[in-house]
Amino acid sequence: MKIGGRPTLDALCGEYLVGTLRGAARRRFERALAQEPRVAQRLAYWQSVIAPRYTKMMEAQPSPSVWRRLERDLGLSRYRVAWHQRAGFWRSWAIAATAALVLVVGVELARQEPPVEPISQLVGKDPAVAQVTAHLSRDGATLELHSSRPVIAGPAQSYELWLLTPDGKVLSVAVVGTLDARFEVPMNLRSRLREGGRLAISVEPAGGSPTGRATGPVILVGPIRT
Amino acid sequence: MLDDKAIKALLLRTAARDDGSADAFRRLYEQCSPVLLGIAQRIVGRRELAEEVLHDAFAKIWRVAESFDPLANQPVAWMAAVVRNRAIDVRSSHDVARVSSYHAELDNDPDGSLDRLFDWAPAADDDEDRRRAAQWLRDCLSRLNAAERQSLVLAYQHGLSHSELAAHLRKPLGTVKTWIRRGMASLRNCVESCMSGATR
Repeated sequence: MKIGGRPTLDALCGEYLVGTLRGAARRRFERALAQEPRVAQRLAYWQSVIAPRYTKMMEAQPSPSVWRRLERDLGLSRYRVAWHQRAGFWRSWAIAATAALVLVVGVELARQEPPVEPISQLVGKDPAVAQVTAHLSRDGATLELHSSRPVIAGPAQSYELWLLTPDGKVLSVAVVGTLDARFEVPMNLRSRLREGGRLAISVEPAGGSPTGRATGPVILVGPIRT
Repeated sequence: MLDDKAIKALLLRTAARDDGSADAFRRLYEQCSPVLLGIAQRIVGRRELAEEVLHDAFAKIWRVAESFDPLANQPVAWMAAVVRNRAIDVRSSHDVARVSSYHAELDNDPDGSLDRLFDWAPAADDDEDRRRAAQWLRDCLSRLNAAERQSLVLAYQHGLSHSELAAHLRKPLGTVKTWIRRGMASLRNCVESCMSGATR
């Protein structure tokens, strides 16, 4: 029988609120709450009439481990914006580009045969701002970035190029002072660059990210052609 | 002071299960966990059990956030109900000492204890309605007879069941059940009549 039509509905709501509705009776009530709009409405009404405010005096600070367990148990990372997709990045991009001063953080350009194969087109949110094409040499040892217009990092900044592998790893490829750059690909990344995924460029403190992960805004992203 | 409007927005965002849900849930936790832990601790008594309750309750809030009615205006009360129910279950399965020092304190000074549990003073950002509602609830609680008020507070604040109340108050089970039901009904009627008096 439905609970919503019973004369005891009000009594049940009251007992539920005060906490004396127990065991099977409470489970029945909670099922009805989910299935019978009238029950939910009535309880909401009770809650609006008898709504105590809790005082600061009863607060207790939980230990940080409670949140860490929740995060892990519920797999919350699935419901978080990836750092390279946040809207704020694109606003910061405009600021970073405007603030760019002529100072090149030294990066030794590899003196090798020019790379020939374009492997990725990196774009920002506004394609008119700047685009970067990444070219990889046939042997996979040299990567070259070509920007559609000159962009040079400010005195306290570097650009860092990241490889976002198809299995979700984020690996640093190079730290550069300008978006027109040529450098040697680290040995351990040479084969991985051909496995797909994406390239991304973030703005970092001079010398690159201190943490090994992107700490500043990501300004350009593009898929790797395989 | 918890802001119901902001809490509601976070709860709805949590229920949306999109890119912003984890952040919304984290902020919900940051804002509400101290008060909810306080509620749990008063029921289960022990800190580590209270944290267990908090964990389980927030896991449930995450799972059932979508069932929170977007038209309801009491999101904190809704979450508090989840915490209290979990605390009551944990309390009965862990054989928590039946009558804690809180209860002795309550026996001596039931009204003082109410003041410690609830914040009656109007907050600066409260609107007129909330201020009045808090005042009504306080007045109405004080109008209940002492036995009804004491059983409601023991049940609400410390999660005592009917039979625990009966044992603690040394009264027959049926009497205690009547006190609870009558107490809640009088409380509701009293606040309702204050409300209708205010709208006239």
